[in-house]
Amino acid sequence: MRHLTKYIGFASLLLLASSVLTTSCKKEGYALPTAPTQLQDAAIKRTLGPNIIGQPLEFAYAMAILKGKLTSCTAEASIAGGPGTYMENRSFYTAQTGADVGVTVGSPSVTTGATTTVNYTVDTNAATLRYYYVIPEAARGKTVTIKFTAKSSDGETVSTTMGPYTIAKMDMKLNMNLTDGALMYISIADTAVYNAADAAAHAANIDLVYLYRNLTTSAFNHALVAPAADPQYLPGVTLPNGVNRTVKMRKVFNLQDHNLAPTENFGIYIDDIDFQQIDLSTMPNYAINLKGDAGVWVETADGKYRAYIFFNSVATGKATVSMKRYQMK
Amino acid sequence: MKRNITIALVIVLAVCTWAACKKSTPVDEDGLLITTRRECSVSSFELLGTDFVTVRVGTAAIDTTAQTIKVTVAFGTDLKHLYPQFTLTQDCKLDPKVVGLTDFSDLANPRKWTVISGDRQIKKTYSVILTVQPR
Repeated sequence: MRHLTKYIGFASLLLLASSVLTTSCKKEGYALPTAPTQLQDAAIKRTLGPNIIGQPLEFAYAMAILKGKLTSCTAEASIAGGPGTYMENRSFYTAQTGADVGVTVGSPSVTTGATTTVNYTVDTNAATLRYYYVIPEAARGKTVTIKFTAKSSDGETVSTTMGPYTIAKMDMKLNMNLTDGALMYISIADTAVYNAADAAAHAANIDLVYLYRNLTTSAFNHALVAPAADPQYLPGVTLPNGVNRTVKMRKVFNLQDHNLAPTENFGIYIDDIDFQQIDLSTMPNYAINLKGDAGVWVETADGKYRAYIFFNSVATGKATVSMKRYQMK
Repeated sequence: MKRNITIALVIVLAVCTWAACKKSTPVDEDGLLITTRRECSVSSFELLGTDFVTVRVGTAAIDTTAQTIKVTVAFGTDLKHLYPQFTLTQDCKLDPKVVGLTDFSDLANPRKWTVISGDRQIKKTYSVILTVQPR
């Protein structure tokens, strides 16, 4: 009898456990989600990397309604965008080939102050418009938010705010052509390249001399050298009057910043923090044997600027460089 | 009988515990294995600039008898900021450790590193002698 009770107890426990297991493994029934009827929206930021003055921030703003049609779309920036800020009046979809295809849905955008608006000219209840906010000088070092608003024919309004986005303090100058013996004097303060005559006129701002030497005894090649560097690093160079500043610089290779080298797809971005943190205090004032994809971090003699100069391409006696520059004080 | 089994079990357990705790492979203060190898030398040497590109001109001349490594570096090399890289024979280690950029600018007083053998009994100090290529 005692054994029977034990057996029943064990069997009940087993039954309970298996029923719990069965229940927990049971698939719940799937029901198709019901689309909300009210006006809806969603936004994404399409650009990556640091937000640099003069560069666009690109957004895609999607809006849809089940009943009625869309009437307008507005983007309102917390700081008015620079010249060139606009919203696409075409709604884009991605074709099977992967290409973005635009379909005109509204009148060209109108920008008034910080607000950019597209009014719909077709009867549509769903669209995705792109907004290009050109970062203005007024936003340097500040944060920017963008408020997107969609309106529908039945008076409904929906909004999404994107950001805040911190705008970088740094500047950028792309594709400066250097030529040995001609455009060879670089000013970081001016983010410009000068010939000897202009360099003499801007002597106080000349930080670097570009030169190319094809020597048989050593690999000199392309070089960036401070005017105040040891003359052995400036062979055959006669400096213009007053050009005598020094710098601190560090050679790097393969630091292909995506802003400076947009054709290189490495997803590397130099941002303000990189300039703030790099220590160049003990670095020399010359960098020789530079090649394509090489770069140099530079700090000016007065410590006012730090820069990253990237060699986009080189040829005999010539180079094309791009620069990011950060003002330290 | 039961008592004997218990005693036997306790003895087996004690032996197992002792065996498990026994150090079978000694390691040094860096957590590196101390082996029986007595070879103690540098087999190759590299010197990189801040851009992680070699600054050597030609191969480094390693003299295991004189315990010197002679390297010619390119004209314009920033001697204050170089990354030395040593390849050592098996199980050896280097003292001091290379932890970052190293200053080689005092050419009159070459930097020295000691190679320690796998059994940690033999030590050989190498001088790294740099020569700058003329322009």
